[in-house]
Amino acid sequence: MATTVSTKSVDLSTIFPDAVIADERKGYTGWLVEKDNLIEIATYVREELDYDLLSSVTGVDYLPEEKMEVVYQVYKTTGGPGLFFKVQIPREDPMEIPSVINIWPGADLQEREIWDLYGIKFPGHPDLRRILTWEGFEGHPMRKDWQEPFYEEETKPFKSRWPKGEHIHAEEINPYHDNLKFPPKFNPENWTPTDPEEALYTSLKKFTTKNEDGLEAEQIIVNMGPQHPSTHGVFRAVVVLDGEKVVSLKPVMGYLHRNHEKIGERNTYLHNMPYTDRLDYFNSMANNWAYALAVEKLMGIEVTERSEYIRVIMSELTRIQNHLVWVGIFLNDLGAVVTPLLYAFEERELILDIFEEVSGARMMCNYYRFGGVVRDMPVRAFEKLKQLVYDRLPGKIEEFERLLSENEILLSRVKGIGYLSAKDAIATSMTGPMLRASGVPYDIRRAEPYGIYDRFDFDVVTRPECDLYARYHVRIEEMHQSLRILEQAVSTIPEGPILPKKPVYQVRVPAGEAYGRIESPKGELGFYVISNGKPNPWRYHVRAPSFINITALEKMCVGEKIADFVAILGAIDIVLGELDR
Amino acid sequence: MDWTLWLELVIKALVLIFALLGGFAYLTWYERRLLARFQSRLGPNRAGPFGLLQPIADAVKLIFKEELTPAKAYKLVFFLAPIMTLVPSVIIAAVIPWGPPFQLGDRIVTQSIADINVGVLFLMSIASIAVYGIVLAGWSSNNKYAMLGGLRSAAQMISYELTLGLAFVVAILLGNSMNLTDIVEAQRDGRWFVLVQPVGALILWIATLAEVNRHPFDMPEAEQELTAGYHTEYSGMKFALFFMAEYQKMIVVSAILATLFFGGYLGPWVDRWPLLGPVYMFLKIVILLFIMIWVRATWPRIRYDRLMAFGWKVLLPLALAVVMITAVGILLAEINPWMIWLIPIFSLIAGAFASLMIDRSLRRKAYA
Amino acid sequence: MSPELILFLVLSLVAIAAAIGMLISPNPVYSALFLVINFSTVAVFYLILGAPFIAMAQITIYAGAIMVLFLFVIMLLGAEKLAPGKVLPYQKPLAIGLAIVLMVESVYAVLARNPSDAEIIVPTEAANSIDAMRDLGIMLFSDYLLPFEVTSILLLVAMIGAIVLTKRAKGEQE
Repeated sequence: MATTVSTKSVDLSTIFPDAVIADERKGYTGWLVEKDNLIEIATYVREELDYDLLSSVTGVDYLPEEKMEVVYQVYKTTGGPGLFFKVQIPREDPMEIPSVINIWPGADLQEREIWDLYGIKFPGHPDLRRILTWEGFEGHPMRKDWQEPFYEEETKPFKSRWPKGEHIHAEEINPYHDNLKFPPKFNPENWTPTDPEEALYTSLKKFTTKNEDGLEAEQIIVNMGPQHPSTHGVFRAVVVLDGEKVVSLKPVMGYLHRNHEKIGERNTYLHNMPYTDRLDYFNSMANNWAYALAVEKLMGIEVTERSEYIRVIMSELTRIQNHLVWVGIFLNDLGAVVTPLLYAFEERELILDIFEEVSGARMMCNYYRFGGVVRDMPVRAFEKLKQLVYDRLPGKIEEFERLLSENEILLSRVKGIGYLSAKDAIATSMTGPMLRASGVPYDIRRAEPYGIYDRFDFDVVTRPECDLYARYHVRIEEMHQSLRILEQAVSTIPEGPILPKKPVYQVRVPAGEAYGRIESPKGELGFYVISNGKPNPWRYHVRAPSFINITALEKMCVGEKIADFVAILGAIDIVLGELDR
Repeated sequence: MDWTLWLELVIKALVLIFALLGGFAYLTWYERRLLARFQSRLGPNRAGPFGLLQPIADAVKLIFKEELTPAKAYKLVFFLAPIMTLVPSVIIAAVIPWGPPFQLGDRIVTQSIADINVGVLFLMSIASIAVYGIVLAGWSSNNKYAMLGGLRSAAQMISYELTLGLAFVVAILLGNSMNLTDIVEAQRDGRWFVLVQPVGALILWIATLAEVNRHPFDMPEAEQELTAGYHTEYSGMKFALFFMAEYQKMIVVSAILATLFFGGYLGPWVDRWPLLGPVYMFLKIVILLFIMIWVRATWPRIRYDRLMAFGWKVLLPLALAVVMITAVGILLAEINPWMIWLIPIFSLIAGAFASLMIDRSLRRKAYA
Repeated sequence: MSPELILFLVLSLVAIAAAIGMLISPNPVYSALFLVINFSTVAVFYLILGAPFIAMAQITIYAGAIMVLFLFVIMLLGAEKLAPGKVLPYQKPLAIGLAIVLMVESVYAVLARNPSDAEIIVPTEAANSIDAMRDLGIMLFSDYLLPFEVTSILLLVAMIGAIVLTKRAKGEQE
C-alpha cells in the first residue's frame, strides 16, 4: 500500500494575520490563536485544510507567566504531520474559551476533563460537568497552585526520602485537620448536601417516547456499573431504557481516578517510565514507547538500531496479546461463558513469558529507556520468540478465528449492531481498530511512521461494515499483520548496542514541548510533555485511547438493545487504568 | 388403601428426592469438571479425590453465608419465591418411570411414584407453573436487574411452552397414549421415537433448554447484562435453592427427553433385571446433560428479542408442521407399516427449511 | 369421615380464603397470587372427582398461562405502585347486588338438582382410564365437531385481530 504523506506545513499566520502568531517560545511549535477567533480558525482548519481528526485537547497551567493555555492537536486521517494551535488566556477566574465541540465532537469528554482539572469553562459545550472527579469536588487539581491533602513538595525526589532515606509520615508533617479548607461562609453544621448526580440525570432526560395516545411510556433508568460484571472494571453507564431499548446513555467515570498526570508532573522523567505501565496495564510495552518517544523528541536523541527492532517486536507482541484477550473477553460479553477467554489466555501467557525474560515482569514491564531499551534480549527469549512467531501463533490465531467466526448466534449478535459511520467515527476522534472498522484506513504506523515502521511491509486492515462484526474482524486480521511484521523484524534484526550511551539516573531534558504518539493496540496513545529544563516535566498529559473512544458510546448504543450495550462497550476495548487515569 | 402401598409410596418418594438432591450436588461437580476440561483447565480437584467432596464444601459454605433481604423487598414473596421455584422441579419427577415394574414378594412394584394416565399433561402443567418462582423472585426483590430478569423469563417460558407442548404431542401421537410408561413401552425393540421423529426430539430439546433457562437461552440470568437476573438479591441458602432448582430441572428435563424420545429405561436385558432400568436412565441422562454442558461451554448467548423471534417464527411453525407430518404418517402406516419412515424424511425436510428460516429470523434487525 | 372428605373440606376452606384474599388484597400482585391458589385448589377438586384431564388442563391453562400473563402485565405496568384509582359511586352496591344474585342462583341450582342425575355426575373409576380420554377426543371430533371448529375459528380470528392491531400501530409510527 503506497503512502502519500504530505509534509507541507501550513502557515496559519499568513491566513489570519490579525489573530494568529507563530509560537516562538524555545522548543515550541505551532500557532498561538486569539480566543475570540478560535471558532473561526478551527472551522477553517477543519473545513478548508481538512484536519479532520482532533487528536487531543489539553490544558497547560503556566503559573509563573500567569497564563492558562489550551492546546489543540489536529491531524488529517489521510496522514501527515499534525497541526498544533494554542489559545492563551489570563490566569484569573472565570476562564472561558469557546467550545469546539460543534467542529470536532471528539472534544466532548476532553473539554469536560479540562474543566474538571483546570477549571476552564467552555461556553457552547452542552453538558459541561466534571468528569474524573465528582460534582462538588473543591478546586481543580491540575492547577499548579492546587495541593493535595498530604502535600509535601512540588517535585520529587522528596527531601523526606532522599538522600538519607529517613521516612517521615506525610500526615505528621501535615495533619489532616490542617488540610481542610472550607469555602468562605461555609458551615459544615448546617450544610444540606445536594444530589451531586442531579445534573447527570437531567442531562439524560432529553428523550421521551410518546405513543399515539399521547401517553408517555414508562422509561427506566438502569445504572450499569460501577459494580457490574461486564463494564470491565469500575466504569459506569447510566442507561435510559424503553423496554429493552436504549433511549439515552451517559458514561460516568473517574472511580479509579488518581490524577495520574499530577503525579507524573511531580516525578522525574525516568520515574514516569514504570508509571506509564499502570495506564493500560495490558500493554505496558506500548505505553512505554509512546512516553519514550515524546521525551526522545525533546532530548533530540537517536534510538539505537537494535533497540528499534526490539521495540517493534515488543510492541507487536503486545498488540497480539491484547487483541487475543479482547476477542476472548468480547465473546465472553456475548455470553460464551469463558471458554474463548481461556483459550486466549493460553497464548497470552506464552507472550508474557517473553516479556518476563526480557524485562523481568510479565505485565508491568518498564522496559524502554530514552534512546533504547533497558537490557538486551536474551538468546533464549529470542528462540522462544522465533518458535512462537513461526510455529505456534499463526495456527492458533486461525484456530481462534474458526472457533466462533461462523457461528450463527455470534453473527446475529454482531452484524449490524453498534453502527458508527466513518464520518461520525472521525468526528468523535475514534482511533485504532474502532476507526479502521468504520472503513477509515488510518494507522499511525503508516500515517506518521514512528520508530522504524516505514521499513516493514504490512497492510492497514479496514472493514467497510462499521459494526461489531467489522471490529471483530479488524482485530483478528490485525493479529495476522502483526505476525507479518514480527516475521520481518525477527529475520532482519541486527546486532549492536541497545543504548546510545551509558544509562544515567537523571536525564537532562531541554525546555520545549513534544507530542509522542503511537498506534497502541487500543488506538492512538499520545504523551504530551512540556519541559522547562528542570528534572521534572512541567506538563505530562496522556492522550488515552480508552478515554476518547468512549465519546462515541452513546451514538453507537442509542436504539440498540440493552444486551448490545454490553457488546458495544466491550468492542471499544477499554481499560479502566487508562480511562480514569 | 393398605399400609404397604403407603409405605411403598413413601419409600419411593424419599428415594427419588434424595436421588435428585444427590444428583443436583454431583451435577454441579460434573458441570464444573466438564467445563474445565473444555476450557483446558482442571476444575475443582482439591476437596477429596477428583474434587468429589466439592459439593459438600459448597453446601457448607452456602449454609453459613449471611442471608440478606433488601430493605424494600416484598418480604413474604421474597421468602416464598425460592421455594416456589424448587418445588415444581421436584414434583415434576413424580410421573417419570425409572424402570419396568418388578416383583417384590407377592406384590408388583412400579418404578415410578405415580403412573398416571395423564402423565404427559402432568409434565406440561407443572412446567407451566414453574415460572412463578422466577417471576416473583424478580418482582419481590424490588431491583431493576431482577425485575428485568423476571419479566424476561416470564415471556420466554410462556413462548417456549407452546413449542414444548407440541413436542409432547408428537410423542403422544407416536406412543398412542398420554401415559409415560405406555410411551416407553411403545419404543421397544430399538424403535426409539428419536429415529422416527428426529426433528421432534430436537424441538423438544431446544424448548427444554429455554424452559430451564440454560445456555444459550439463559436470558433471565444473563450475567453480562443483568448481573445475575432474577436472583441478584438472593444470597446464602435462598440462592442455593434457586441453584438447586435449576440443576434439578436440568436433570428432570433430561429424564423427560430420555423417556419420550430415547427409549426411557429400555435397554438390553432390562426385562430380565428390572433394576437395570434406572441404570439405563442414568446413563441416558448423563449423556444428555453432557450435551447441555457442551453447549454452554461453546456458544454465545442469543439476544433476547431474537430468542423470542426464533421461538415464535421458527420453532413454533416447525413444531406445528412436525405434529401434522407425524399424524399423517401414523395414518399412512396403518395402510403399510413401512410408510412410518415417511415421517422422518418429511420432517427432516421441514427442519432443513426451518433452519434456512433461522437465518432470516435472527438477522431481522427491525424486530421489536 | 373418609380421607377424601377431609381433603375436600380443608381445600374448600383454602379455596374460599384465597378467593376472599383476592378480593380484599390491596396489592394486585397478591390478588393474582391468591387467584392462582384458588385455581390450584379447584384443580385438586377435579382430581378428587376423578377428572384428571380437566384438573391438568385447569392448572396448565389458568394457573400456568393466563395468570402468568396477568402477573406479567401487572408488573410491566407497575400497577402495584399506583395509588388506588377513582371508585365509581355506584360500584360497591352494584357489585354486592350482583354477587347476591349469583349466590342465590347457584344455591338454587344445587338445591333444585334432580336427584336422579346424580348417578351421571358422580364419576366412575372408568373415567380415570385411558379410554375416557379417548372417548372425550372422539366425542369432541364427532358429536361436538361443529362447536369445536367454531371455537377454533373464533380463536384464530382473535389471533389475527391481535396481529393486525399491532401491525397497524407499527406502520403508523414509521
